[in-house]
Amino acid sequence: MNKIKIGLPSKGRLRGDSINFFQSKNLKVVNSFGDRNYFFNIEKNNEVEGIFLHAREIIERINDGTLDMGISGLDLLKEFPEVYSENVKTFQKLDFGFADLVVAAPKDWLDVQNMADLEEVSFDFREKYTRRMRVATKYPNLTESFFLSKGVSQFRVVPSLGATESYPFTGSAELITDITSTGSTLKANNLRIINDGSILKSSACVFVSKNFLKNKFLRNFK
Amino acid sequence: MKRGLEKKKLKENFSKKILNLFKKRKFNFTDLDLLIDTNLLTERSGEQFKKSTLTYRDLLGKEISLRPDLTVSTALKYIQEKKTKEEKYCYYGTAYRLDKKGDLKVFDQLGCEIINPSTKNSSLLLIDSILEPIKKIRKLEIVIGDVGLFKILIDALDLPERWKLRLIRHFSRREYFIELLKRLETNYDLDQETINVDTQRLQDLIKIDQSKIIGGRTVAEIVKRFKKKLKDPRDDYKGKLNVRIIRNYLKINLPLQKAEKTIIAFFNKNKLPTKNIKNYFKKIILINKKIGKKYSISFKTDFGRNAEYYTGIVFLAYAKEKGQVVELARGGEYSNLLKTLGYKKDILALGGAINLNQLINL
Repeated sequence: MNKIKIGLPSKGRLRGDSINFFQSKNLKVVNSFGDRNYFFNIEKNNEVEGIFLHAREIIERINDGTLDMGISGLDLLKEFPEVYSENVKTFQKLDFGFADLVVAAPKDWLDVQNMADLEEVSFDFREKYTRRMRVATKYPNLTESFFLSKGVSQFRVVPSLGATESYPFTGSAELITDITSTGSTLKANNLRIINDGSILKSSACVFVSKNFLKNKFLRNFK
Repeated sequence: MKRGLEKKKLKENFSKKILNLFKKRKFNFTDLDLLIDTNLLTERSGEQFKKSTLTYRDLLGKEISLRPDLTVSTALKYIQEKKTKEEKYCYYGTAYRLDKKGDLKVFDQLGCEIINPSTKNSSLLLIDSILEPIKKIRKLEIVIGDVGLFKILIDALDLPERWKLRLIRHFSRREYFIELLKRLETNYDLDQETINVDTQRLQDLIKIDQSKIIGGRTVAEIVKRFKKKLKDPRDDYKGKLNVRIIRNYLKINLPLQKAEKTIIAFFNKNKLPTKNIKNYFKKIILINKKIGKKYSISFKTDFGRNAEYYTGIVFLAYAKEKGQVVELARGGEYSNLLKTLGYKKDILALGGAINLNQLINL
């Protein structure tokens, strides 16, 4: 019989919270091969084979069928092209890993309160500087769709790998979109969230492959 | 349905004949670049356009796209060849686009473009040249719209400047345009609570160096716009009335012959000035006079909103085959495109193309 393949986040709080969540469902995660090994098992359960992976890769592997299920962030699934959602199904939203993806501008941009302001400023910006306003983000697809849905078309995405909050003050971008839970990091970096600039409210989720949706193993999570 | 070799032969025959017709009208055949710098495409149509183009990144990180249409390639040619006067191009080539699922769609197009026209009848010449090769198609229907006319309507309305700009900018984006009208109707615009906090902060900003850059903008720029925003009327601009006028305008759909009278009557009924409109309508009147009897042409105020870069007259030629609309040709005026691609100023340009793949199936 084929074993059930599960992916859990390999790092940080999301890893700890995911392990605790499994434990709360009487599925104790055990690292039989040592803490640094990426493979895990479930105690007293021979039907599962587990692996710790980057949260983004968990979605990739469910999509390509290498994994049957896993825990990752809703933001990460939504960032992938829409076709991923055909194969990767959200089985359950979890009460950890909360994060909002928001649009933030320099706090001194007093004239920019909402996305409608941003739309106007972006046109003025293009007119004046003959280039599009740049938005630094780790979420280019979500950012692009959201900006367009709010009428902001005069922008260019600048992919960011980290320290996104610094971009408007280093000349690399004019504004940003980023994940925040309390807004304090944005505030500490002289940025403010645009009033109607909430792109996505995200949390950790149990994701399963489309073909795994009816598997009885999922009863453990109900 | 025609197959392989038969299709190829048909395409060759059609393209030869059609290009000869274009050449007789003094359009010069031109070979266009297949690859386009992706940055130029995003400058023209925004980030969203990248999703519908086949793009690859070279080892140095530069993005290049297969041409999604031939208008951009023609405009780039004009710029690269440092032209300054009227140029009339015709071309035969393939455009490549990705559909929503990411599958590649290939379009064989025959078209002509007039950049920086020297005469006032360029719209007529362009439309007539594109329609000539397909005039014998049974039940051929033409739709004409005019994005510039919509701009005249909005300019005539009693609205704050920023609302006028918004409505004009987003005319081509239907879903967002509907949302904008809803917002205009309810007068939702400013958040008074945040404004109060920011007005206090304004005093601090006024005291600092006005040329200081904050997030790519100068302090002076921010202060100026904030003050302007506060002064702009926001409670008394008759949102509901204006929205009603716009919605009613966008319902106008009638034979081209009746367009001028009906539009002027619409402006009069809504007590809007008609001075600009009478002058503007000259192009439409000329088209109607010269080819109005040759084709079945309707004028639709809601037509021409599918591409952001159209700025004036827009047209579509189609036929109905087994109840399905078969789009045979389309085009229009685009006055802002060349500047966004690097030309020194905005110049009038117009173009149209025949969809050869559809034509050979009829």
